[in-house]
Amino acid sequence: MRWVRPSVALVVGAIFFVPLYLVLVNVFKQGGKIASSPATLPVPPTLDNVVSVLTRPDQLFWVSLTNSIVVTVLSVIVLIVLSAMLGHYLARTRRTWTRVLTLVLLAGLMIPPQVILIPISDVLRIAGLMATLQGLVLFNVGYYVPFGVFVFTGFIRGVPVELEEAAVLDGASRSQVFWRIVFPLLRPATASVMIFLGVWIWNDFIDPLIILGPSQGTTITTGIYRSIGQYQADLGSVFALMALATLPVLIFYLALQKQFVKGLTGGATKG
Amino acid sequence: MWPKVWHFLSFGAPGVLIYVCFVLAPIVISFWYSLTNYNPFNPPISYVGWENYFLLFQDKEFLTALKVTSILTVIVVVVPNALGLGVALLLDRPGWLYNALRSVFFTPVILSSVVVSIIWSRLLDNEGPLNTFLRFLGVENPPGWLSDPDVALYSLASIVCWQMLGFCVVVYLAGLQGVPQELLEAAQIDGAGPVRRFRAVTWPLLAPSLTINTVVLLISAFKTYDYVKVITNGGPGAGATATIAFNVLATGFDANHVGYASAMAIVMLLIVAVVTAVVLKLLQRREVDL
Repeated sequence: MRWVRPSVALVVGAIFFVPLYLVLVNVFKQGGKIASSPATLPVPPTLDNVVSVLTRPDQLFWVSLTNSIVVTVLSVIVLIVLSAMLGHYLARTRRTWTRVLTLVLLAGLMIPPQVILIPISDVLRIAGLMATLQGLVLFNVGYYVPFGVFVFTGFIRGVPVELEEAAVLDGASRSQVFWRIVFPLLRPATASVMIFLGVWIWNDFIDPLIILGPSQGTTITTGIYRSIGQYQADLGSVFALMALATLPVLIFYLALQKQFVKGLTGGATKG
Repeated sequence: MWPKVWHFLSFGAPGVLIYVCFVLAPIVISFWYSLTNYNPFNPPISYVGWENYFLLFQDKEFLTALKVTSILTVIVVVVPNALGLGVALLLDRPGWLYNALRSVFFTPVILSSVVVSIIWSRLLDNEGPLNTFLRFLGVENPPGWLSDPDVALYSLASIVCWQMLGFCVVVYLAGLQGVPQELLEAAQIDGAGPVRRFRAVTWPLLAPSLTINTVVLLISAFKTYDYVKVITNGGPGAGATATIAFNVLATGFDANHVGYASAMAIVMLLIVAVVTAVVLKLLQRREVDL
């Protein structure tokens, strides 16, 4: 009976894999064949779809890719800096007021973006930041800072405060203590924050859709969304665009797979 | 050792300030809008009190959205949780096969919901692979998965479940790693069969994993927007798949009834806050310390 578990696992996994299989085979299939025989293997395989996406005259893929990279990288860097510092403040100051502040920040973890997007678009318009990448980055930072703080605060509590006191006695300034001594010890927390926020912001759809608006450029996700209309007849290009859009995140995931799982595990065991 | 005020101003304030500007202040503004008839293309703005809220609970469209959102949320909280536990128990073994399968189940989690939506709308198209396969099996009239108003919501929910399943699997697998082998062996020596061992030892110790999965699924299901926007745009028929999150933005940005949409948003926020707080309390009460 030792074959029962592996075979059941294999069958369940295969059924689950069907939608991903469809993307994989159709990226390399001639456009016409996708509608008539979507499930067959691409024989002979073709790179036409990928090439046509990469060489579109309006550069949709390259522009969207650049925007997504800029927004994701900037947001994640600012988020790591701000939430590590705020986390340090909350972890080291135990007062009623910091406890209240922590609760108010934690509440931010469950606020749906739809609740704030309407006023946000007015706020950004007044500030002249609507339909700009800076506006989107600022929004991301505000919206995701609770998650960063949540991860960092817990972690900083585990760093002995004596370490900081010793460094201060040796004459280090307070920001030196934090950036040179504490921050390097927070690497696992920084990795979690980077991984989760990186993937969320990269895949985010609703916020760039509303904040960047219809005219001012697209990120990868809104780019795909806008192209389904134009590509109605050309399914091959849609599949190729989706595969290319996913590639960076997939590479990122495969490279950091262990940290990914550790990030989730840390949360699961600590509760 | 840190001077309190200096510490707050230099370390705490920047993060707090941006959170206040982009999350807390907008909620207050949203609440203020909800008490007005604000419409950017139809000034002037006037204060209408609680009228938007009274209208909301007589509005059939909103009540439908409330129902759609509730059905979707219940399915998305229960199904990936249950199936995720099953798959995690199945894959809780060492070896390359199980490692590879874990990656397969986790991959949809890192995909964009837009990508997932497009894949599935091809798959579930009336003439798509699934129906072709069903016809091949001899089903004469396979359902219009996304075009039949009675079926579309359940198709949509299944798509969300497919994407979230891997998250639950990974969290449960992590929880299973934390179940001490000695306890299971002790139970076995006492004569407990596999089912009894699971119910008496494993399941109670998985309580923190259940809490995390349930709360994450709850929060993300409640704000379902992307799939609706990309796959059905609220249809087919009269709002068969229009969630509250979808209606808030459709009413606020497409129809420009900002005041009314804000009332909807505030109600949505209250529901998600109350439900999350209650569920969290109930689930955490189950958690035991080893």
